[in-house]
Amino acid sequence: MVKITVDGKEVLVNEKKNLIDALKDVGVSVPHFCYHPKLEVVGMCRLCMVETGSAKVDPVTKKTLKDQSGNPVVILNPKMQAACNTPVTEGMYVNVNSEKAKAARAGVMEFQLINHPLDCPVCDKAGECALQDYSFSVGDSGSRFREHKRNHPVEKIGTNLRIVHNRCILCYRCVRFERDIVGRDDLELQERGSETVIGYTPIDASSGPLLDTNYQGALADICPVGAFLNENTLFQSRVWWYDAKQSICHGCSELCHVTTNVKNNELYRYMPPKNPEETNYFICDTGRFSVHEFSRNRLHAYLLKGHPGKSADILPQVAENLHNASKVAIVGGSTLSNEEVDAIQLQVSEWRNSSKDVAWEFRTETPMWENRFAEKADFLMMVDRRPNSKKLLDSKAVSIGERNGWEDYLSHVDLIIVLNEFSAPYAFDATREIESSELFKLFEQKDLWKKTILVSTHESAATKKALASLPVMAFPEMEATYTRHDGQTRKSIPVLKPVKGLKTASEVLASLTGKAELARN
Amino acid sequence: MAIVKVHEKYKWKFLEKNYFYSIGAGMLVTLGAFFKTGILGKAVTIRYPEETRPISNRYRGLHTLKRDEEDRERCTACFCCQWSCPADAILIEAAEVPPEKAHLHPEDKYAKVFQVDLLRCIFCGLCEEACPKGAIYLDGGIPMPADHRDKFIRNKEDMLEKKGGPLIGERI
Repeated sequence: MVKITVDGKEVLVNEKKNLIDALKDVGVSVPHFCYHPKLEVVGMCRLCMVETGSAKVDPVTKKTLKDQSGNPVVILNPKMQAACNTPVTEGMYVNVNSEKAKAARAGVMEFQLINHPLDCPVCDKAGECALQDYSFSVGDSGSRFREHKRNHPVEKIGTNLRIVHNRCILCYRCVRFERDIVGRDDLELQERGSETVIGYTPIDASSGPLLDTNYQGALADICPVGAFLNENTLFQSRVWWYDAKQSICHGCSELCHVTTNVKNNELYRYMPPKNPEETNYFICDTGRFSVHEFSRNRLHAYLLKGHPGKSADILPQVAENLHNASKVAIVGGSTLSNEEVDAIQLQVSEWRNSSKDVAWEFRTETPMWENRFAEKADFLMMVDRRPNSKKLLDSKAVSIGERNGWEDYLSHVDLIIVLNEFSAPYAFDATREIESSELFKLFEQKDLWKKTILVSTHESAATKKALASLPVMAFPEMEATYTRHDGQTRKSIPVLKPVKGLKTASEVLASLTGKAELARN
Repeated sequence: MAIVKVHEKYKWKFLEKNYFYSIGAGMLVTLGAFFKTGILGKAVTIRYPEETRPISNRYRGLHTLKRDEEDRERCTACFCCQWSCPADAILIEAAEVPPEKAHLHPEDKYAKVFQVDLLRCIFCGLCEEACPKGAIYLDGGIPMPADHRDKFIRNKEDMLEKKGGPLIGERI
């Protein structure tokens, strides 16, 4: 730690950081566009200009010179420094809010806004836009620019991404993000001078004409202006309507921290968490957007052979089936929380004690059978798309040792209970149909539907085919903990209000047992 | 104590009993009014709703959606009016402008659905004030009664003006 003087106040800061980060630690925020803690420093936007200097030292005695009132004489550098590119040094003097620094920032803002259209009303970024914020806080209200603004048409640059060149302030963040974080050097600055635009160039023959990475949402997110917009959330809402809470993403076992965006009891998207320094700066598109699918096609009725009915009629029938079955297989469950898994495990041991042969196998897909639980698909997302596989591994929910055996096993059991495996968003990929999943194909092939009871959060092709489908609460509706692939436990909070009377998976299974006993007596 | 017999003192005469003078006086007023309005044409009332009185320029009545000089819709679905509405009377659904309608919209975002619920609206004029594009004004005249609740929900077609014009700005 070194001592520096910020606006006449002495503070202790970390000498390994640059000025922006160091000043942030002591509560002084320096406006910036191009700087990002996770990206290479380029100093392109020039907004983080601060005055720096040092105390005047007598060349002979090597002592700090003092003025008449005893304060050290400070020599400020004649040119302003970009705080992002200036390391902290001992005894440094920094003026962040001096008149000169303010004037410099206002001047830079005027330049940034020269070609920027005044279209905040139609811009999806409005409300979370750094340019908008800084224009209000550090910019001047007017502009002296009288010429025509540069005009480029809007371009579709990615499968889920469009670029509005007019809004771009050329901060270079997207290019650095693609190059340094995603590892695909496919965005670049094209043309020169005021005609410079961000362009996409495929890295090799295998990449298509459009950007198709899993981080197009992150590109729109790190863009400090509304130049990048995601098409699947385009014009759907305004950001200030979202109810934002801090929770975790259930898209894979990485369990990233996220900010949830809820409007009208519907999840629209996830955004990176509020305190990214301690958690994660980026989230992938799979987690960010497919959560919107969550609020669609919820299963809110008890189904018997695909037809809705009363729980009082359907539950005893299912319980009767369960009571008569001597061999029961429970499939899936890795989307359930730790508490649920523990409760179901108790339930299973109870069934086993009452001389039932109960097998619980949570592995349903190839990556799981191949034990690739800790493998990453890219720099963030896991190959295993289930949030709680680690917990089920620890809970020994692996009754069938080999993959080959389990297909036969399923054909020979009397009853199959599927825990959430056919609920669309748990596949967590908006493009992926439930019909094309491995488990669905297996069930079709062996015709297992007649003895299958689905515990499901969502309606799908499977809920119509199964013997019975029981609706349950899902992750955004309850407070629960999940186990990350490395064993860390993370907590999610309820952000949606569940439909009245909806039970959790373990409660539904417990009610089956109760009903079965009733039926027996 | 003397008793004054008031009813005898004020006993009506024959002509008074027949309301002769009263009817005559009333007829005079009627004939005067008939002469004034029917012959001279100096009526003070109007045949509402066929005729309406001129209303103030600042009168807050029904909502109209404006078009600009090139007859493009001014509204870009920024939701500012919906957001500022204290009565929650406005419902907007935004969408991207289809290419075949691009000449009707200045930006690439437009209001696919724009509804104002007149039963909720309190005609406060905040939407007019909030609109950054000068697209919505409460200058459509006096709200009319209707025989069904649904008729009080005005859609975009009801409110959108056919012909465009210059920006109105603040109404004073």
